[in-house]
Amino acid sequence: MERFDVVIIGSGAGGAPIAARLARAGHSVLVLEKGPLLRTQEEHPLGVSDFKRDELFATGAEKRLTLSGVANRFDSFYGSHVEPDLNDEPHIYEGADGLDRATIEGYTAQVVGGGTQLYGAVSLRFSELDLRLGSFNAGRNDIVGDPNGDVRREARDWPIDYATLEPYYCEAERLIGINGTRTNQGKPFSADHYQTPYAPNPISAYVATGMDALGLPRYRTPLAVITEDHAPSGRIVPAAAEAAKTGYVNRYGDPLGLKSNTWVALLRPLSGMANFTLRANCVVTHLEMAGDRIGKVVYRDVAGRPVEVAGKLVVVACSAIESVRLLLLSGERDPAFTARLNGNGLLGRYFLTHCFGGAEAIMPGRFDKSVSLDSDWATDACASEDFIRSQGLWAGGAIYNNTSDQALPISLARTHGSQDMDTIWQTFADDTALTGDALNAFFDANFGTRLSVSFMANQVPLFDNRIELHPSISDKWGRRVAYIRKTWHSHDVHLMNVFAEQCRRILAFGGDGGKGQFPVSEFGAIYMAANARARIANHILGGMRFGSDAADSVLDPNCRAWQFDNLYVTDGAFMPTSGGANPTLTIQANALRVADQLLARL
Amino acid sequence: MVPVLAVDSEYLFGLIGKFLARDDAGPRHDYGHLDADPRAGILEPWRFPWVDAVFDPDDATQPDNAVTFVHAAADRQPGHVVHLVGSFADLHTPIPLLPLVDTHYATVTLRIRKGEVHHYRLRIDGVWQVDPINPQRMLLDNGVEWSRFFTWGATRRLVLERWESRLLQRLCSHILPFHTADGETFFKRVHDAQGPANRAPHAYRLDESAGAVNFIDKLLAREEAHHLIDYQICLELIDRLLRLRNPVIEPWKLPREVFAELYREMATASVAGWNYGRYGNPRYFLQLLRRHTLTGVFSHPRYGGNAMTLGWKYLEERYRDASGATLFDWGRAIEAPLGRNSAYRG
Ligand SMILES: Cc1cc2nc3c(=O)[nH]c(=O)nc-3n(C[C@H](O)[C@H](O)[C@H](O)COP(=O)(O)OP(=O)(O)OC[C@H]3O[C@@H](n4cnc5c(N)ncnc54)[C@H](O)[C@@H]3O)c2cc1C
Repeated sequence: MERFDVVIIGSGAGGAPIAARLARAGHSVLVLEKGPLLRTQEEHPLGVSDFKRDELFATGAEKRLTLSGVANRFDSFYGSHVEPDLNDEPHIYEGADGLDRATIEGYTAQVVGGGTQLYGAVSLRFSELDLRLGSFNAGRNDIVGDPNGDVRREARDWPIDYATLEPYYCEAERLIGINGTRTNQGKPFSADHYQTPYAPNPISAYVATGMDALGLPRYRTPLAVITEDHAPSGRIVPAAAEAAKTGYVNRYGDPLGLKSNTWVALLRPLSGMANFTLRANCVVTHLEMAGDRIGKVVYRDVAGRPVEVAGKLVVVACSAIESVRLLLLSGERDPAFTARLNGNGLLGRYFLTHCFGGAEAIMPGRFDKSVSLDSDWATDACASEDFIRSQGLWAGGAIYNNTSDQALPISLARTHGSQDMDTIWQTFADDTALTGDALNAFFDANFGTRLSVSFMANQVPLFDNRIELHPSISDKWGRRVAYIRKTWHSHDVHLMNVFAEQCRRILAFGGDGGKGQFPVSEFGAIYMAANARARIANHILGGMRFGSDAADSVLDPNCRAWQFDNLYVTDGAFMPTSGGANPTLTIQANALRVADQLLARL
Repeated sequence: MVPVLAVDSEYLFGLIGKFLARDDAGPRHDYGHLDADPRAGILEPWRFPWVDAVFDPDDATQPDNAVTFVHAAADRQPGHVVHLVGSFADLHTPIPLLPLVDTHYATVTLRIRKGEVHHYRLRIDGVWQVDPINPQRMLLDNGVEWSRFFTWGATRRLVLERWESRLLQRLCSHILPFHTADGETFFKRVHDAQGPANRAPHAYRLDESAGAVNFIDKLLAREEAHHLIDYQICLELIDRLLRLRNPVIEPWKLPREVFAELYREMATASVAGWNYGRYGNPRYFLQLLRRHTLTGVFSHPRYGGNAMTLGWKYLEERYRDASGATLFDWGRAIEAPLGRNSAYRG
């Protein structure tokens, strides 16, 4: 059996920073990644990238669900080239009607780099308050929509504070390569490593106007896209001005490697090192224990053959749902494993995503939205204690505009009336009146005119929101699939309404130069969607929360499983609360923090 | 001699793991069109042979694709000997597929022109046969079955009959905006802008669907082969119905209003004279057609639609600011020679 100092499972936001740190320190590192290595054009033997500026890469041909035992059997679905196929490896969720359905929600991307290959690259920090919501809410009795005191009971402080995490935010921002501005952010910064942002898309001026009119301090949304040469990763920005601004951003891999996914930013620079090994197309099927240690990591290689490896340290970073699943599956084979990992029954519990939603309107004028990155302006105004208390909320969140959404013609049509992968195309196909002149009118009204403002806010952690193994459905390897069971709390609904209204106001004030009367017909939040229970916003968090009390958490403050000497979990699963912002930068910063702990052990 | 391209195992692994590697060979991917065929146990078998771009530094027209043939030994043992012959090369000189590291896979990557349709066979353990993975097959005139593939932008009709594609063109053009007054002006201008020598092929000039029908033909030949049956049945029903309504004129030559009326009826799922016993819901077919048509006309031309990037150009021209600058500058992001991005190669 091959042995390494560290075996890391998953090459995305939670895994790659640790690999980079430990390999650079000279330790032998193996990264096992289920997905393929898809490369930029400069690294590729054919001189072209595996990622393309091609709308059918983000959402491809129609397929049909054939799984038995799900209510959406025979329904259509549309995959991308880097998401798992639903018939081979679905996630199943329990709908409000009690029926099970397969969904693509809860997967980011399965490729070297994980979700960071496809992400919108919005790279916000969490606020200082996000990490101490337990103490902030203790004793409060002004929380709206919380008749049973769930919020007070379930809110938790993180076992680390913002000051502990802050240097790692700085380090992550430097290593990953992020553009943005610091002024007006509601979060303390000890160093500014941002690259200079590109000029915003002109349509975003409405958002700037709206935020200004409402007195919401705004800053350029930090985006993990390099705009200047980036020394830590050795990346060079091509001469073509603003080459990354294309509209092929969110849900697209970047053929030029300017988006700072964890492959180009962190792992590729290690490629020549003899102590670093990356094995793509290898799916870890389970872990085996030996005493209080993980003794073996068992995976299938590209040809499907089982292989065993060992690591002094084992880091699981498969993205929260898949990490929970991997550990539940390992426990199924060995009751002693379960006893050690899940003595308190919290494994898979307190699964989280974000409260999310926003507002959208057709703005005056038309703009070329295909010249854009994912977002231009953000505000932390709704993360302040004043705001939170004034609205009877338990926590805050971030608000930012989306610039690249619906920027391209097929995406405009296929997301007409639908926002998620499970219902894409339905409305356009259904709206049979859109032909000829009416189709012209549809494009006239919507193409380059739509602007949306989104929020990402904390979701109340609930014991019953959980990841289990589905009782009957298995993947192509015969491994039971993840079963997502969650609802939204009544306070989440209140919070989402408050935030949706803020987003609406930004557009209402932005659209008419500050008077606030501009019509905004679409605003709301995810709890209203027909498949609201499935929806995860690509933010897959919790399920193995860390804490300082072994009875109340799955991981210790260093993200080590309490009863295992060498098992760490560093994807979004560790979060006890979901934070008031998109999570990836925090996952990366925390992974760098854990890496320092691991360095001290090796 | 067809050139063999050097690719590395990382590239080849990426074509294989997600799609071919598995324990459960059950028919997870049979959408009702593959029956008991073992290919129903493979994810997206239509991807094989894998047709990719290849960058040619010496030819700005980027004329070729990289086509990778993959054989997976049924017994999962390494060391099977596999050869390939095909219409892209001399049929008497088998091309070897080489073992992929120590796996049971064998592969070869060939440089083949874009816009072509080819047939090929494999010699597996000494026996010539069709490719066991690729669902695309065709009968040659001598009755022998071969495997088939096509490269980017191919325009030869593959699965639709001539009459079917003519009828389909009328339905697609009804959905698309090009038969409107605006659309016609646009088409005329694009056409006139081409010098006589560069003028678009006749087919495109008249094709108000801007390649959507060709896109659909290719989609039904490959990714969405499970929908071919919908088209075959519905086009036949439509043909019959239009002949009943207008006995003297060929259906595809009927005036616009006839198609507009048919479309309206299909949208309400109540079509006079429709054979509901054969196809229960004409509206379902219309929805399918809407998705396919729109995708065809605005997707990258590699898929066979958006002929001469007419779909993109239509929006480029239609949306301009006060100074005349376009508000859909698609060419900025897209590779040459279609677009003008200097960094991105497609
Ligand atoms: C379209 C999209 C847009 C997004 N936009 C943003 C954004 O703007 N800002 C933001 O902060 N976040 C965004 N996200 C979310 C972001 O991608 C995730 O938060 C982040 O990638 C999570 O990191 P992770 O380490 O938990 O998981 P991932 O980055 O997903 O990495 C997990 C990796 O583990 C691998 N893996 C899983 N199971 C196994 C196994 N059994 N064996 C081996 N490998 C395995 C997976 O293939 C994957 O590569 C977006 C996501 C998507 C899909």
